[in-house]
This record gives sequence, C-alpha cells and structure tokens, in this order.
Amino acid sequence: MQISMNGEKRQVAGDSLTIAVLLEMEKVESPEMVSVQVNGDVIDRTLYQETDIGDGDEVDFLYFMGGGSRR
Amino acid sequence: MTKAKIQADALKDCRGVGCPMNLVYTKVELAKLQAGQILEIHLDDGAPINNVPGSAEKEGHRIIGKKQLPDGAWSVLIEKG
Amino acid sequence: MRDFSEAQLERYSRHILLQDVGVEGQAKLMEARVLIVGAGGLGAPIGLYLAAAGIGKIGIVDGDTVDLSNLQRQVIHFEKDIDTPKVASAREKMLAINPEIEVVTYQKCLRADNIREIIRDYDFVVDGTDNFPTKFLVNDACVMEGIPFSHGGILRFDGQTMTVVPGKSPCYRCTFRQPPPPDAVPTCSQAGVLGAIAGMLGTIQAAEVLKFVTGVGDLLTGTLLTFDAKTMDFKKIKLHKQKNCPVCGEAPTITELYDEEQAVCNLHN
Repeated sequence: MQISMNGEKRQVAGDSLTIAVLLEMEKVESPEMVSVQVNGDVIDRTLYQETDIGDGDEVDFLYFMGGGSRR
Repeated sequence: MTKAKIQADALKDCRGVGCPMNLVYTKVELAKLQAGQILEIHLDDGAPINNVPGSAEKEGHRIIGKKQLPDGAWSVLIEKG
Repeated sequence: MRDFSEAQLERYSRHILLQDVGVEGQAKLMEARVLIVGAGGLGAPIGLYLAAAGIGKIGIVDGDTVDLSNLQRQVIHFEKDIDTPKVASAREKMLAINPEIEVVTYQKCLRADNIREIIRDYDFVVDGTDNFPTKFLVNDACVMEGIPFSHGGILRFDGQTMTVVPGKSPCYRCTFRQPPPPDAVPTCSQAGVLGAIAGMLGTIQAAEVLKFVTGVGDLLTGTLLTFDAKTMDFKKIKLHKQKNCPVCGEAPTITELYDEEQAVCNLHN
C-alpha cells in the first residue's frame, strides 16, 4: 500500500499496519518524543497498538523539540 | 489650449535628498493625504526623477504632472491612490 | 498619523520603503508590545531583531545568568557578560542598537502563579525556552488570555516553529498534548546544538512577530515549519485544531494553570 509520511509518498508492504509497528519500522528511537497525526487527527499515544494505518493515509510524525534558552 | 493649473494639497522639497530617502519622504507625505489629494514633490535630476515617480506608481498612486524647474530639478505631481 | 523624527525616518527607512509595511506599518511596530520568554539561543536573535525593528515595548523573561557555554550560539551575550543576569545583558545590547525602545526585564522563571499577569501586558509572546514544562505553560496561559504566540524549538541540527492565534488556529497542545517524560528529553545541554540554527529559527520567529504586528502576509498558523540544517530541507506540516485538545478543545480539562513536575528552570545551576 501507499501512504504519505510527512508529506512524502511511501510504499509499505501489506494492507495495513498499526502506528506502533510504523514507529518501529521508521526506527524511531524514543516514541515518547513523537506525536503522531493521521489524516489530520492527533492520535492518543495509548492507542498506537490498536490504530491501523491503511492505503492512502497521511501520517505525520511530529517531533518534540525543546532547546533555546538553557545552557 | 491653456492647461488649468493643478493646485497641490502639499509640497515636499526633496532637492538634495538622495535615494532612497526621497522615496521615504514621498511616502510619509502621501500617508498624510486622503485618496485623490495631490502631493507636489521636488526631485533632483538623474536617479531621483528616474526612480521615485515609478516607485510611487507601483504603490498605486498616479503621476499627473511633471516639469523641469529652472535649476534643473523636477516638480512632480502625485495623486494619492 | 504618528510623527516620525528625521532620524526615525532614516532608521526605519527600509521598512517604510516596503509597500506592505510603509509608514503605517512602522507606526504599528512602534506601538507594539512583545514578550520574549528566554534570553538564550532563540531569544538572542529575536531580541536583537525586534529591538532593531523598533518594537515599542519588549519584555524579556529569564532567570539565568550568562555562562561561557552560551556564547557559541546566544549572540546577544558577550564574554564580558559572563555571570551577569541574561535579561540585563540582553537589555543592554537591545538598547545599544535602539535606545528609543523600552525593554522590561523579568529576572525570574515563569510559573503558573506569575505568568498570566506578566503576559497580559503584551500583544504577542515569543517562546524561546528550552524546556517543555515552560512551553506548555506558555501555551496554556496564552490560550487562556487569548494572546497570540510563536512556539520555537531547536535540537542538534533541527528546528521547528509554529504560530498560535488562540481561538483561531491549533495550539501547541492540540498537537503535542503533554510534556514528554523528563528522562526521554534530551535538552540542548545533553544533545548539543549547531550554533547557527538558533539564528535560523529565532529570525523566523522574529519575522512572524513583525508580520503579526503589521498584518502582512500569512502567519505560520496551523502549520509546523521544520528544518534540518544537515540537508537544509524545510518542510511545512499542516496541523489542525483538535476537538479533544485539553486546553482549547470543546471540553477543556485544563482550566487552571499548573506547574509540571520537572523543574521549569533552576536558579542555582
């Protein structure tokens, strides 16, 4: 199937996969530092195991980014 | 045919003022006027007369008169857009 | 119309020349009040550019003092400023650029019990802090007070920013919900940061302030702008207001401000 990841088209094997699997596939080291948006909806992180991504879905990984003022 | 003399609502003498400050002064004077009112501005020959009227037109104002003064500088009439 | 002195016309000539800004836009900038949270990597360019632009009143909040390790990116602080309060050091440089503006300093950490009264005096808030508790606190307080703000974050080679207009555009919590667990968070001090990206992101935030005040162009509302300085890829990701957002959603669960467990900042370190 084809999904869109942060605006880029991506071919993924299979018909569907969960957000948890996608995070693993993308080798996200600290999932706590990512907020996941699917088709514009921000997904509660307790639902990553049970939320399926399907063909045509638009997925965004939004990374927490601090930094600025502390030394 | 005689041309009716257009009465300007304000006059700004920018002789001796280079680019881009002459345009800054022009914009300041235009900002004080209502649409349709007329600003007469005096500009040096060369770069000032070649640049300021065109810039004013680009911002939506109308050049309604232009004549050279005895000292070689220019008088330009700008109608606020 | 506001009267400009000859010196002001010359100082602000490059703004006045811009068709979209003009005399009127510059007058708005001179009447604006903007609060900068954090006088660090982001606050440095933000403070310098807002002072240069003639923003009439600029507040700056930071509880820290200048450290040698700041100087690699916090370009508002000089070697002579080491050990002096960052807000005082920043104020001095801002007034050196433009003595016509007012710079108000708050040498303290923002907390649930002081943030609302501070931000109320301002039209716009710029977040340049490094820590998530303060970022969420700034978001919640600005949403509650209805004050627009710019979120900014940098880490390693990456930066991100979004502009929030409460009630109209998604807030920081719409997307990020709650601070990540403290042990998962690499701060600048642990992860490192390429100095110049503080300038890249801070100047984007400063430009958003100038756009907001003058009403020019389209703000980064509903948009997370991210960049990776390694590839110089800039990306915009569309964000949406979330009905279930705990602070700006349909049934908010956060109706009072609170301090997160993680220390917001530490005056002793």
